[in-house]
Amino acid sequence: MKPYLLAAVVLATAVTTGTASAVPRSEAMLANTCAGCHGTDGHSAGGNMPSLGGLSKRYLYKTMRDYRDDLRPSTIMGRIARGYSDLELRAIASHFAAQSWQSRHDGTQPKLIKRGAELHQQLCASCHTDNGRTQSGETPRLAGQWFDYLQDQIGAMSAVHYRGSQPNRMLQRMSELSAADGEALSHFYASQR
Amino acid sequence: MNISRRNLLRATTTLPLLGAAGVASCSSVSQSRSSGSGARVIVVGGGYGGAIAAKYLKKLDPSLDVLLIEQNPSYVSCPLSNEVLSGERDLMSLTFSYKGLSAQGINIMQDRVVAVDADKQTVTGSSGNHYRYDKLVLSPGVDYRWEAIEGYSEALADQRFPHAWKAGPQTQLLRDQLLAMRDGGVVLIAAPPNPFRCPPGPYERAAQIAHYLHHHKPKSKVMMLDAKDAFSKQGLFRAGWKRFYGDMIEWVGAAGDGKVQALHADSNTLVGEFNEYQGDVINIIPPQKAGKLAFIAGVTDASGWCPVDQGSFASTLKPHIHVIGDASIAGKMPKSGYAANSQGKVCAAAIVAELNGMERPEPSYVNTCYSIISPEYGISVAAVYELQNGSIVPIAGAGGLSPADASDATRAREARFARGWFKNITSDMFS
Repeated sequence: MKPYLLAAVVLATAVTTGTASAVPRSEAMLANTCAGCHGTDGHSAGGNMPSLGGLSKRYLYKTMRDYRDDLRPSTIMGRIARGYSDLELRAIASHFAAQSWQSRHDGTQPKLIKRGAELHQQLCASCHTDNGRTQSGETPRLAGQWFDYLQDQIGAMSAVHYRGSQPNRMLQRMSELSAADGEALSHFYASQR
Repeated sequence: MNISRRNLLRATTTLPLLGAAGVASCSSVSQSRSSGSGARVIVVGGGYGGAIAAKYLKKLDPSLDVLLIEQNPSYVSCPLSNEVLSGERDLMSLTFSYKGLSAQGINIMQDRVVAVDADKQTVTGSSGNHYRYDKLVLSPGVDYRWEAIEGYSEALADQRFPHAWKAGPQTQLLRDQLLAMRDGGVVLIAAPPNPFRCPPGPYERAAQIAHYLHHHKPKSKVMMLDAKDAFSKQGLFRAGWKRFYGDMIEWVGAAGDGKVQALHADSNTLVGEFNEYQGDVINIIPPQKAGKLAFIAGVTDASGWCPVDQGSFASTLKPHIHVIGDASIAGKMPKSGYAANSQGKVCAAAIVAELNGMERPEPSYVNTCYSIISPEYGISVAAVYELQNGSIVPIAGAGGLSPADASDATRAREARFARGWFKNITSDMFS
């Protein structure tokens, strides 16, 4: 790295740091601290820990920032994200975004997958295109994500008092979704490659 | 996970990234270097610290010759082993093989290290084998100060009064004793003074034992005799105990005669400063010190633990030896599985940097501990750390406990996250 660029990075860190370290740390060093829960390089081994490896940098950054700033409710992610500056969250996002996505084929119930496919077309397909496979800075990939995580998030979003930074239109639709349909949607996305 | 050729190539490119990434500090590194040092690094102890150190050493520099020496053929996780006591899981669900690490090109040797020669840079196994190293990483875990409780001994722990503070046969022994106990019996748990492995562990254990008794032997009691006056997640534990188990769990702190002085094995009695306590089942979690391996290597100080450079975990007492996990003195980090995981990675990155002539990378550390009070009721504590003036300190404003007023839905999610945590941290270690 050229010295003037390094100085700029250090300065940027100092400016944007609220609570985090003033000494720059590498993307891998920062992101490796996440792997204990999210799997090596963000390839989750399952449970309701989502896979992060291969999601878009912008989506990952925004989500961590929203957890940190209490714009998106969490059990523990807010507490952890508050340990990092904007620049560090970007570095973590960059590390995971550089990985290639690994689909889990975790949806196992054909009837629910079929019902989930219908719900996907009705409710989700306008943003989560290509059966949830495509992603943008705003819209995460869902295809091949872990079932337990999808189920956990749909369940959380459909709770009466849920307030989050996700698009209102989605939260509205999720709040009207029955538990059985939430499960079907989760099976559908989890079954995709 | 089988590491594909593509993954290996990507891992290779991770090495220069240590210095070249957007927020890295090192401007003097040759970024074209990708051949690595080819040095030999030995890791002794294949648990939460050692398995991770071995894996990340190889991941960061595939040219390294990494040898993991472990005395057991497989690993049994201590985290989540309290659920064996309640009957919610068995030991097999906590048992892992080293095949996944072997598949990544890490050499695995089952041997018990009996000598470390820091001058010659060799370790000797009970097999008679000698192993030469350029760098040595020790992950010794903990050992017990048997002499602190008069009448207690390693033999008694193995046979009648298990500590069960390393998961394995003693965990099963304690479970069997609970199964055999009469309804109306008393389970005594002696909790150790600080510092010790897994600060919330004894209190989760009380809950897990109470969970079993509540359903099968409801007239029984769990009495904790604690050498301390305060403990990890205290408010959350006490509220959870009360909620699920009523008055079944009684906690006696140091000020209330909780400091156990002696065991009278003949009468199943623990002796406090003022009173004696008779139990049907007695679980003594003894005061602790660094594992035997640390004493063999001569890397402990007068405290019985291992002083290290907290940015690299290099021993301050012996050259080319690093100590990670519970045995190390790691600033404000607790002696936990997640802390050992985090330290293993920091240590691996520091060693790889040094062997490749690079500056030590600036470290980052995290700890996350879940405790399960009832199968659908979990709590957590977390912290994010940085190095300040040579000491690991928590970043202010981050981390902390689950809220005291969390909803049941949140507690249920945290119990599920505890199991997801286990799945992922063990996959980070072994696959």
